[in-house]
Amino acid sequence: MEYKIRAYMDQLFETAPRTQRAYEMKIELTQNLIDKYYALVGEGKEPEDAYNLTVMSLGDVRELFVQLEDDEEGNPVPQPVYYPQEQPNQKRAMIRVLAVMLYILSVTPVILMEQLGLDGIGVVGMFAMIAAATGLLVYDRITHPKTDQPVPGTVVEDFRQWQGKKARKKHWVAAFNGAFWPLVLAFYFLISFATGKWYITWVVFLIAPAVDVIVNTLLKAMMDQQK
Amino acid sequence: MSIASDVIRGHTDAIILAQLIQGDSYGYKINRAIQEKTEGQYELKEATLYTAFRRLEQMGCITSYWGDENTGARRRYYSITQAGLEMYDRMLAEWEQSQALLQKLITP
Repeated sequence: MEYKIRAYMDQLFETAPRTQRAYEMKIELTQNLIDKYYALVGEGKEPEDAYNLTVMSLGDVRELFVQLEDDEEGNPVPQPVYYPQEQPNQKRAMIRVLAVMLYILSVTPVILMEQLGLDGIGVVGMFAMIAAATGLLVYDRITHPKTDQPVPGTVVEDFRQWQGKKARKKHWVAAFNGAFWPLVLAFYFLISFATGKWYITWVVFLIAPAVDVIVNTLLKAMMDQQK
Repeated sequence: MSIASDVIRGHTDAIILAQLIQGDSYGYKINRAIQEKTEGQYELKEATLYTAFRRLEQMGCITSYWGDENTGARRRYYSITQAGLEMYDRMLAEWEQSQALLQKLITP
């Protein structure tokens, strides 16, 4: 019967102006009718009766269509309210470039300090640079959750925004996942160089996946609680 | 009943605004509330309701946004603006005035 209501609305809107507004109106009205239909069925009406009552309650849609045509002729209806979208900006690009540069240049302290005979300091410098670069990337990711730049006012973009909002809840998880493995690698080298016990430090790579799973699970549980 | 309907129809905008003062809502819910308030004696036709929504939106009395239900049905919610509140106060005052007048005129 829901299908029948949709079909009825499709037919009804054949004569409506072919505009975004009219399309949204149709979606809105259809949902309204479906709600009404189920309410009537819930009250114990026969499906057929409920359908007829629902369709009858619609009234004269010509006034609606006339108004929709007016909308096209220079009486614009204000668009639904949106939260302002941030544009991708230069600052963001700079952060990323800086992070990549830090990664590439991170080996230079090692080479330089080795020539000066100060091995330890070079390695520390390298890890400091890697940590800074990773930090920058994580910061970038947290402050700019992934969103597209929608053209406001369309159903499709509304839907994508809605999805985006859901995705935003997950960006902490994404940030963690992005930073995790570089940090594990850095940690591995750090303790290996520091202790010199290369024969055993590789167990880091066995422990790391376990930590990864545990943290992910905890983060997810926290998100669920927030909801 | 048809005369009553005609009288009420002239106040559709005020009726909708009165509902939205109680909080943001969507088409079906508003109509449902009206029906319950009148114990099933009055109900707006969808066409009338949505025509009024567009009109009120154009006048800046209400704004709309798509709700984010997690279930499939997505609804357009309406919310009253400051201009809408002012408009409602004006309409209410007008109604009280004409009600008093009519009362005087209609009684012998």
